[in-house]
Amino acid sequence: MKRLHLFLVFTLLILHGAVFSQTARQFGLRQNTPQVFAFTNADIVTEPGRIQSNATLVIRDGIIEAIGRRVDIPADATVIDMTGKTIYPGFIDMFANYGLPQPEGEEHIHWNAQIRSHYSSAKNFRPDADKSSNLRSQGFVAVHTLPEHGLLSGYGSVTSLGEGEANHQIIRPDFTQALSFRRSMAMGRGYPTSGMGTVALVRQTMYDADWYAEAHNAFSANRTLQRPETNHALEALSLARQQSVPFVVEAENELWFLKAIEIADEFGLNIWVRGSGREYRRLDAIRQTGKPIILPINFPSAPNLATPEQSMNVSLEALRHWYLAPENPSKIAQAGLTMALTAHGSGDQFMKNLRTAVERGLKKEDALAALTTTPARLLGISDSYGSLSRGKVASFIIADGDIFEQQSNIEQVWIDGKKFQIKPLRDDARGKWLVQGGEGLGGAIVHIEGTTDRLRGTITLEEKSTRLIRVRMENNRLVLAFSADSLGLQGVYRMSANLAENELLGVGEGHQSNYFAWSANRTEPARAEQQRQRTPKSPLQLPTRYPSMEFGLASQPEQVRNVLIRNATIWTQGPEGIMENADMLVTNGKIAQLGYNIAAPRGAVIIDAAGRHVTPGLIDPHIHASIAAGVNETGDAITSETRITDVMDGDNVWIYRLLAGGITSATLFHGSANPIGGQNAVIKMRWGLLPDGLLIEDATPGLKMALGENVKRSMGRYPSSRQGTEQIIRDAFQAAVEYGEARERWTRNRSGIPVRRDLTLEPILEVIKGDRLAYVHAYRQDEMLMMLRVAEDFGFTVGTFEHGLEGYKIADELREHGAAAVVWSDWSAFKVESYDGILHNAKLLNDVGVLTTLHSDNTQLSTRMNWEAAKTMRTGVSEIDAMNFITLNPAKVMGIDHRTGSLEPGKDADFVIWNGHPMSTFSTPDQTWVDGRKYFDRDEDMVLREQVKQERALLISRILEEQQAAMRNDQE
Amino acid sequence: MSSIIPKIFLLLSIFLYSTWVQAQTPAPPQQQPIAITGGTIHTVSHGVIENGTIVIENGKITAVGANVEIPAGAENIDARGKHIYPGLIHGRTTLGLTEISRIAESTDLTEDGNINPNIRAQVAFHPISEHIPVAAVNGVLTVVPTPTGSLIAGKPAAMMTDGWTWEQMTLREGVGMSINWPSLQNPSSYRQAIDELQQAFDDARRYKQAREAMKSGQGPNHNVDIRWEAMIPVLKGEMPVLVSAGDLRQIQAALAWTEKEGLNTVLVGDRDMDIVAEQLAAKNIPVILTGVIGGPNHQWQGYDEGYKTPLRLYEAGVTFCIAGDASAAYALRLPHHAASAVAFGLPEAEGLKSVTINAAKILGIDDLVGSIETGKDATIMITNGSPLQMWTEIDQVFIRGRKIDMTDKHNRLYEHYKEKHRQESL
Repeated sequence: MKRLHLFLVFTLLILHGAVFSQTARQFGLRQNTPQVFAFTNADIVTEPGRIQSNATLVIRDGIIEAIGRRVDIPADATVIDMTGKTIYPGFIDMFANYGLPQPEGEEHIHWNAQIRSHYSSAKNFRPDADKSSNLRSQGFVAVHTLPEHGLLSGYGSVTSLGEGEANHQIIRPDFTQALSFRRSMAMGRGYPTSGMGTVALVRQTMYDADWYAEAHNAFSANRTLQRPETNHALEALSLARQQSVPFVVEAENELWFLKAIEIADEFGLNIWVRGSGREYRRLDAIRQTGKPIILPINFPSAPNLATPEQSMNVSLEALRHWYLAPENPSKIAQAGLTMALTAHGSGDQFMKNLRTAVERGLKKEDALAALTTTPARLLGISDSYGSLSRGKVASFIIADGDIFEQQSNIEQVWIDGKKFQIKPLRDDARGKWLVQGGEGLGGAIVHIEGTTDRLRGTITLEEKSTRLIRVRMENNRLVLAFSADSLGLQGVYRMSANLAENELLGVGEGHQSNYFAWSANRTEPARAEQQRQRTPKSPLQLPTRYPSMEFGLASQPEQVRNVLIRNATIWTQGPEGIMENADMLVTNGKIAQLGYNIAAPRGAVIIDAAGRHVTPGLIDPHIHASIAAGVNETGDAITSETRITDVMDGDNVWIYRLLAGGITSATLFHGSANPIGGQNAVIKMRWGLLPDGLLIEDATPGLKMALGENVKRSMGRYPSSRQGTEQIIRDAFQAAVEYGEARERWTRNRSGIPVRRDLTLEPILEVIKGDRLAYVHAYRQDEMLMMLRVAEDFGFTVGTFEHGLEGYKIADELREHGAAAVVWSDWSAFKVESYDGILHNAKLLNDVGVLTTLHSDNTQLSTRMNWEAAKTMRTGVSEIDAMNFITLNPAKVMGIDHRTGSLEPGKDADFVIWNGHPMSTFSTPDQTWVDGRKYFDRDEDMVLREQVKQERALLISRILEEQQAAMRNDQE
Repeated sequence: MSSIIPKIFLLLSIFLYSTWVQAQTPAPPQQQPIAITGGTIHTVSHGVIENGTIVIENGKITAVGANVEIPAGAENIDARGKHIYPGLIHGRTTLGLTEISRIAESTDLTEDGNINPNIRAQVAFHPISEHIPVAAVNGVLTVVPTPTGSLIAGKPAAMMTDGWTWEQMTLREGVGMSINWPSLQNPSSYRQAIDELQQAFDDARRYKQAREAMKSGQGPNHNVDIRWEAMIPVLKGEMPVLVSAGDLRQIQAALAWTEKEGLNTVLVGDRDMDIVAEQLAAKNIPVILTGVIGGPNHQWQGYDEGYKTPLRLYEAGVTFCIAGDASAAYALRLPHHAASAVAFGLPEAEGLKSVTINAAKILGIDDLVGSIETGKDATIMITNGSPLQMWTEIDQVFIRGRKIDMTDKHNRLYEHYKEKHRQESL
């Protein structure tokens, strides 16, 4: 019902057809030049896949009156012969920032300047002559223009690219909403500063919009309640959500694309995604979203390979992207997604790039549909745009051939029945000219060649010939000069002539400044220049890789039904201790049995590990790898609303390198800039999977907190001292308690103004309730003790102290409270608060009975956690305890010990096969398994390296070939 | 009687407590001969001696072998089941020159201006830095604190990691001239820096000529220029230039330039050294590797590429030493860097040499330290295994025959807080 209502409104709003002033006062004389044209003998592509050859198009007052092969040409029509020309429907750019001024001194409706949902692109629209001319020159007749500044930056509108008043250009005002996860610096540099902060703010704002509507409803029903704030941004957003307005989301890579879908699903948004050109990297996942995609047509230029040093810096990932990006549009089209295109970011290279995409597999009909019918349908303007038929707007393209072929040109674009000349009518002087008269030149032949931009030529007189030393067009006059000596005359002749069709009427200046008149007739027409030879290259056979980079896998490693490891020294880290000469059976990704002389099930993969050691997969409970767009949200001191899961990027070669070091699980943390930071992610190193696939879903949720130097370092932000840190933490926890009570009251009574859902306080409340672990970055004993007391006052247990350098000073307190210690082996003295870090920290904590683990906080260090554990043995830690520090204990801390951390029947088959004693500095992993899948194998790694080398070489040589070909062409 | 014991215990605890909180006490000079017997001696220079004996007199090693006569009155140290290694040498560190790198006031590494050849590292070597005993008890007995930052940064010195004053601790001053090859990031500032370096060497040569002329009576008086005076040993080839060059373009430029200048050259760098290993070997240029532990330089390289530079240098025949982590607090990590290279293919014996004899040779102190040989300083350690194993515990270190207090900040604080928890019976 609502939709129908909207539809009617929009239909009325669409200004049908040609644009004439309906309400503006007519000053001076009226203009009534007839606007009726008949384009005859044209090839007319009426819509994708439909062409009418040798047809006629009649337009009247900006509207198509007739189209077809048998069309009566109206008596009042101006007839234009279009022989050899092709007419296409005008293009629609689905994502433009067109005609919207830079925000300046704008009043902030919402507390956060990035939230501008109320912003009207229609009201602020000012036609931009430069931009519209540029877009027209690439075939566009209309654009979907969206405000670009902010996260929720306001309403989008469809406008025409014709000339005239703003009022007359708007085709459909304010009917989409723009959403982005990239903040605009033009709107200020405060909160949010990070990718996860932007996601959090967008989510909170969506909830706030819902709340806004409910709050006002409650207030209208009962005027005695406290009046809710007035906020046009939230109002606009609330309305947009109720009306299912399309949200156009900018996704700067394929991972943001998928994140956008998740947010859309959370809030039931109708979304179109503006892609990045990187979707091919995760095509299946993108395909499954089924969402309309707006693709830019930008392709990366070749990486700089000019010197060997520069070449060394180029990754396989960059090389693959260079090669594969032009195939992205065709892959999206083949995936069956609704695809529209945009010239956004392409400058004037749009058509060139589009033709490249066509060469690389994009079907011409698909390309045309993505520029005409599809955007017209999405934008609800199919009645008048997107195809050519009677009654539609006369906005179309005239090209000199197939518009999707490299050598073709757009000659004219007509918008609302008005012509825009695209290809300059550069008079073509090329051909052979027979000269008459003038200082002995009678009978000479002037032969002009080259391109219209760069002419060259010769003059021949009585079989003597010389090159023209100057030949060019100036103001419709041909200007030329030559040395006459070689023609048997004297001096330099300089001549110019008016060019008409096939006749030159000129003057010249010969020897001794004798001026003379001359003329010439064209005896041979301009010959089309040979097109630059583009030798089509054979396509490269690049292997599929997930991720699309070095060491990426064609598919996930197989989970073999049964794997039997024999004769190994097995560090179970469970009740069995270290088992010598033992066997381990893995079935369907789980550890099935540990023992001696286990019989191999039929078909089992058998690994003889004699002389080798098997340990649980190593676990690093604290790293910051694979986090995109900022590890810290520094825009505020309390940012518990941020979630690492929103910005995870597993397409990071370090995941593979961690596997090579035996790491199978890790915690990804927000940084330590804030007393209360963000929510962490616990992952397994399932190299090649998307972020969701890496997550261990049943890990205990966590919240990163921080004390000490880092949190008080931010200038102009509370806190600036350890004392202030305590107070702001207490205040936040108190706020969460009060929030919880208020929400509960409101849920129970449902009376009064609803209590707004608060994404910042909810996770803090979960910590208090014991549903979420507080992971507290801390160095000094005083701050740790403070935190213990705060936690005790609020009735929860601190999960861990991260780093905890002075944990050994209050090990008794940690034990009593029940907090775990996540520490380094030997870090100290890199800043004042770390000065008392000692090697024996883990030893003392462990001896006293604190749950103790090692961590790296550094991705490189994380690849050698066995060395870190071995270092603690120097202080007297037993080898089993040292191994626990990097396996079972972190698993306990992270709440994943029910599935990993030790080798016990029923647990996940996460294990490492070492080539020696795992605590020996000289030992390294031979194999690393996660969930019974072998993700790293020393021998297979050597094969992978060779493949990477070959693939790089292949791509580098392709780039060099293309560059050489281009250089040759330039020389010619 | 029964009441006296707790009192004695209390006094004893107070005494122990006060030593715990104090800094390590430097050891007195060796008083009597020492014989370390029964251990496995890793001489580094002459193989491994099982069940061997080392005799130390007046700070020097006077005998090493399986059948050695022990002088009368020698203190016998039973090292059965133990291993004896030469002290480790950290060839490039900031130890002693900085306490907490983020605190500028605690740091003396870089002087103003680009040309500082006259700077002498040892005079700012802070004897009571907490990090010095940490290095010592972890077997790092010789360190080379090196001025950094400027184009010509000054002269590092070889220092012993125990003593009352920097003077006592100086093993050898001026073991090289520290030069930082400029970055090629910005071509014009690169050109300018190279010109400045060249100018400094040209000026120093002219100074040397004028002073020599003056001294031989063939030239007029010429006043001292303290900067160029410091350069004379470099120009004479008596002092090596230690040229820090990380990027391969820097390395090749430095190679060519130092050869043209006729300098005694040592290159200081890391990963990119392996690309030019053959050129280094051909020109017989030794290398100080500043750290091995780390990831690959490039995304396309194998995960272990970072650890392989020492192996490549070894295979090419380049003399190199490894100078672990330059941070003052992390001198103890020195052997880990060598060990990490061993984990990825470098022969273990070469790993050990890279932190002992090779470092001594490159820095011109191999007459004193770097191996267990008669006539060298008795700067050695007794351990329960290879120092390249991270789990290895070091029982006792000696510097010039002085038995070093094995207390450092780490074990001192450990004991201190162990007591806290002992009192609570935890």
